[in-house]
Amino acid sequence: MSVLTRDQKLSSAFDRPVVLALPKGRILRECGPLLARAGIHPEPDYADEDSRHMRFPTDHPDLDVIRVRSFDVATFVAFGAAEIGICGSDVLMEFDYPEIYAPLDLGIGGCRVSVAEPQDHAGKTDFSRLSRVRVASKYPNITKKHFATRGIQAEIVALNGAMELAPGLGLSRLIVDLVATGSTLRANDLVETEVIAQVTSRLIVNRTALKTRPEAIKIWIDRFREALA
Amino acid sequence: MTDLDIHPALLPAGFEDVLPPAADIEARTIEALMDGFARHGYQRVKPPLLEFEETLLSGSGAAMAEQTFRLMDPESQLMMGLRADTTPQIARIAATRLAAAARPLRLSYAGQCLLVRGTQLAPERQMAQAGIELIGFDGPEADAEAILVAASALASVGIERISVDLTLPPLVPSLLEHAALSAPAAARLAIALDRKDAAGIAAEAGPLAALLLALLAAAGPADAGLDLLAATAMPAESRLLIDRLAATVHAIRARTPGLILTIDPIEFRGYRYHTGVSASLYAPGRQGELGRGGRYVSNEGEPATGMTLYPDIIQRIARRPILRRRLYLPAGSDPAWGERFRAEGYATIAGLAPVANAAAEARRLDCEAYVAGGSITPIGDQ
Repeated sequence: MSVLTRDQKLSSAFDRPVVLALPKGRILRECGPLLARAGIHPEPDYADEDSRHMRFPTDHPDLDVIRVRSFDVATFVAFGAAEIGICGSDVLMEFDYPEIYAPLDLGIGGCRVSVAEPQDHAGKTDFSRLSRVRVASKYPNITKKHFATRGIQAEIVALNGAMELAPGLGLSRLIVDLVATGSTLRANDLVETEVIAQVTSRLIVNRTALKTRPEAIKIWIDRFREALA
Repeated sequence: MTDLDIHPALLPAGFEDVLPPAADIEARTIEALMDGFARHGYQRVKPPLLEFEETLLSGSGAAMAEQTFRLMDPESQLMMGLRADTTPQIARIAATRLAAAARPLRLSYAGQCLLVRGTQLAPERQMAQAGIELIGFDGPEADAEAILVAASALASVGIERISVDLTLPPLVPSLLEHAALSAPAAARLAIALDRKDAAGIAAEAGPLAALLLALLAAAGPADAGLDLLAATAMPAESRLLIDRLAATVHAIRARTPGLILTIDPIEFRGYRYHTGVSASLYAPGRQGELGRGGRYVSNEGEPATGMTLYPDIIQRIARRPILRRRLYLPAGSDPAWGERFRAEGYATIAGLAPVANAAAEARRLDCEAYVAGGSITPIGDQ
């Protein structure tokens, strides 16, 4: 007897503006010229890190910009809270969200995820003899995977910053961190011993959004592609 | 977790108690979907929750091995598996107990499945499935029928606007196999393809890059994508698959012109045992698939296709079924009154002891009215 009545609005997200998630910090500054070349002009406030606003309209009524922590860009896009985003490939490697497509390498935000250890010890450890090693990192998954491929269990000390202090103070033997110029490492008597992955920023897209709103999403992918050419 | 008592309400990760009225809504939604299947001649079967690991994980079931809970049968001393997907069970039934039934065989099923692991986006480890299998016919008409019957069942619960993403799970693996890439390069390429990472595909695919990038560009609205694929050079084996995809699109258009169709020829994620045209169903603007399915090889090599709908997702956007309205029947009421109102579609909540104020008692028990002198009396606002 299940006669069906109450009408429900099918979707709220279908007709709303496309949301582009941008990462705070260094990459945000590099995004500016790229956005301009793509013909996207958010409200100027968006680049002001002191602004308390987090969501900004653009000169396109069907595109809004949000500004979140770089690790959170991937999460917003994976859950469909933002349809597209700009995100470092380090974050994508770390989270490995299956719901994220990464169609474009934007070539900005270049750096690398590397292993570093104290200057004094560098090159003196025979890693093939180790079963376990303690590593301070904000990349637990990347770190565990990297060491697992050489038969070593990485015991992660999860830190969100000031990684470089960890070896000197006995918190860990190694660190795995993002390295751009290497000056922070040098200042803390650490030396980069191994590059795990080169990092650049990617344009990322929510999988369901691309499948269900292909026209609306592809417009923006194409604009970024043209901006790179 | 040593001296910590487990709270009596705590359940293992990914499991939940479904309460009133959600449990009623879920059951009615599933029945409405099953009725949608039945209208197209799909007959219901009910496989058991548990069966021997050896039969559950054979054939198309092998792909579900890592998601299957196991336990030992003390009776036979054999390992049993709790189903993580129903399709392999239907394939077994079709090849054994229904081996002599006329083909094409149209079967439907509804039931719960258990998964070893949820994901961050879908942490549930118990999920309902309601689905159909069309066994013993290999052709675009069958591929189209499975998708359209699923779409029609969704329409019957009020989800009229869906989009269908058509995929060819065997296409990319067959291309990779023939490309003779080294194993690590093939693995990196598979990841790049999975992430639709054009730069990664260009870097890893070598001689395949041009074709794979064309396949990537074809993802999107079906007609434009098929035009692009028609103009793309590819090996004969791939062309056969693409032609079948085009024929399926044609068959769907001929029957239901209005359906939103997209294609994604390089998609292969999550299609575990599929060997031909497959599909995922979406409600535009909603995260999560409403269902998925596609062509596979059933037990004994029989051609088959099917679609599985996910009622847990569907009921969130389906039209809400009408539930029985609750009516308080004070103790001592004439039994005939209750009989009459139940026949009219009410749920009667019988008073077990006399109360001074029937209206207040009705409100306390979440009823919208009570019976006095044989007629329905609203409790009013208070």
